[in-house]
Amino acid sequence: MSDRRLGWLLLAPALALLGGVTVYPAIWVIWLSLQYRIPVFSISRWAGLAHYAFLTVDPRFWSAAGVTALFAVASVTLECGLGLGMALGLRGQRHGRRAAVALLLLAWALPSVVTAKMFEWLYHPAGGLVNFLLGGRPVNWLGDPALALPSLIAADVWRTTPFVALLCYARLLTIPAELYEAAEVDGAAGVQAFARITWPLVRPILLVALLFRTLDALRAFDLMFVLTGGGPAGTTETLTVYAYRALFQTLQVGFGSAIGVVVFALVMVVAIAYLRLIYRQEASA
Amino acid sequence: MAPRPARAAAALVVVLALLAAGCRERPPSDGPVTLVFKHAKILGPADPVPGLLRRFEAEHPGVRVVSEALTWSSDEQHQFYVINLEGGSPPFDVMMLDVIWVPEFARAGWILDLTPLVSAAERDAHFASAIEPAVQDGRLWALPWFMNVGLLYYRKDLLAKYGLAPPRTYDELIRQVRLVQAGERDRRLDGYLWQGKQYEGGMVNVLEALWANGTRLLDEAGRPFPEPERARESLAFLRDLIVSGVSPSWVTAGDEELTRRPFGDGRAIFLRSWPYALDLFELPDSRVRGRVGVAPLPALPHGPAGAASTGGAHLAVSARTRHPALAVELVRFLTAEAAQRAMTEGAALRPSRPALFADPGLIARDPTLPALLPLIRAGHPRPVTPYYLMLSTTLQPEFSAVLVGRKSPERAIRDGAAQVEHLQQALTR
Repeated sequence: MSDRRLGWLLLAPALALLGGVTVYPAIWVIWLSLQYRIPVFSISRWAGLAHYAFLTVDPRFWSAAGVTALFAVASVTLECGLGLGMALGLRGQRHGRRAAVALLLLAWALPSVVTAKMFEWLYHPAGGLVNFLLGGRPVNWLGDPALALPSLIAADVWRTTPFVALLCYARLLTIPAELYEAAEVDGAAGVQAFARITWPLVRPILLVALLFRTLDALRAFDLMFVLTGGGPAGTTETLTVYAYRALFQTLQVGFGSAIGVVVFALVMVVAIAYLRLIYRQEASA
Repeated sequence: MAPRPARAAAALVVVLALLAAGCRERPPSDGPVTLVFKHAKILGPADPVPGLLRRFEAEHPGVRVVSEALTWSSDEQHQFYVINLEGGSPPFDVMMLDVIWVPEFARAGWILDLTPLVSAAERDAHFASAIEPAVQDGRLWALPWFMNVGLLYYRKDLLAKYGLAPPRTYDELIRQVRLVQAGERDRRLDGYLWQGKQYEGGMVNVLEALWANGTRLLDEAGRPFPEPERARESLAFLRDLIVSGVSPSWVTAGDEELTRRPFGDGRAIFLRSWPYALDLFELPDSRVRGRVGVAPLPALPHGPAGAASTGGAHLAVSARTRHPALAVELVRFLTAEAAQRAMTEGAALRPSRPALFADPGLIARDPTLPALLPLIRAGHPRPVTPYYLMLSTTLQPEFSAVLVGRKSPERAIRDGAAQVEHLQQALTR
């Protein structure tokens, strides 16, 4: 047996496992999305691209796509901006860094359903802390169509900014202090030092954080599922919530799979775009 | 061939063989019969289920009943059943179902037809509104385990202070809210709380508004909104409650717990909820203990009072059980009078048998039982159809859009009807 063949043989279990748990289900979902399949009504026949054709004119799908995009862009932008800010703040902090890191981890470590339940009470219009701090005005955070999505974005930012902050902080710690000292000798401090030293060194890791956060945000589910159920008036229904309703609540297996395939394709496109960006950066570095 | 790759290849074969062996099913054992009972965890002072199951085992030597708890969230329970029943994984024998799933599970062929096994007398011992949703295509598919009904909670002390009797119509309720709020001059005292969030509970509140105005969501032929004008009035009424300030604007995000808390803190005059809230209002440390009354839901101009939705849990037998006779026996045992009495005592649930509402022992523990009897009798089941969940998730965003003022009632009814018809066509094609 040649070394090359042995290599493949040893890879085989891993490949089989990957194929079994990711490729096979993905192909199965695509296959399902090409059929009318509603088990309760014994409906099971070929649909071709009919589900996808319906999606192009389905207002609920487009509304969900818009909500997903808005949620992803707003939450990821805020999380990365605030996360980097927090990391810089942490580095500049003289005392209590450990305590601060521990506190940051706390938000990140909470299961998301717990976070959602917590925000349900924070946002409660009559007895919630948020309205209490605003002087007792009964702001209808989760029941007003103009406020519901921003409220969810705020909850997501609270929960995942620490993730970005810790990644950036770890990177900042590895930047040698001499770099800044040398820059100071050369007369570059403050904004200039940030632009010339910190930013170029943090950017690659921020891009990785951006990739993770975007992929998560495009599949956002638990916050809206627990807090608003997609309401009011469908203004917080994301693609995954819509897919869940079709698949598990109403058992439209074919149609639900079609939504799932669209989410999958969307995530793949975004992931590939990011990865290219990351590789290009590595190549130029 | 070098010895090392050969050994590696041999090791791989062994691993694969072990994996394959692990996947093979174990042979069935000849031991005692085991029934698996899937149900949500029963909350309340003392869970009576284990005791009941041990009693069943004592009456049936050689039978063991294993009770497996589901998560409490109704959506997750439904998801669990769907995946396991459709996927054909190891069977369970008896299962607890939310009443709105029974026609769906029957249609899917997941549960056994109980018709030949349950006598007419046995059926009639339950509320008609509990049996009706368990009947599909003229067959009975499940027996009711416990019962729920929508109620109007009111503050006895506040109404008495202003010489008011519980409202029979919503017009009266609105007048009473104005009067009490004007008299109390408490900005923090809300009028009428109900559930307007986009979820099943919001659907229930809209259905009740339709029934209160003498109309329905579906007619006998399954056509949506048979009397659009009355449906429009019902939806406009709910929206007006919010616009006029009788209900706070946040009811558009309110579910059972979010609305129960402020009422329990003494910050609302009226609340629409289920019977479970009463037990919490009467706890020793409750701020409204002894000050809460229950009444039928009020009427709108064209309909009756007390048109409340029923709910609750049913027990059904899996179509894939290996012991159908024993499983049916367990369902009958658990839904029988003795077991329902134990459930009412231990878990503070309401039985589905009218006879138990006159039981002196139970009334001594829960004095509200006799008052609930006529309310449950007047209750309506939600539309009894296998596609109820599709109907509900399709219409929820439309109704929610009316409540938050995004759509006019006319528009929501038109859009909703079009979507329901699209759905019905897809199912019957």
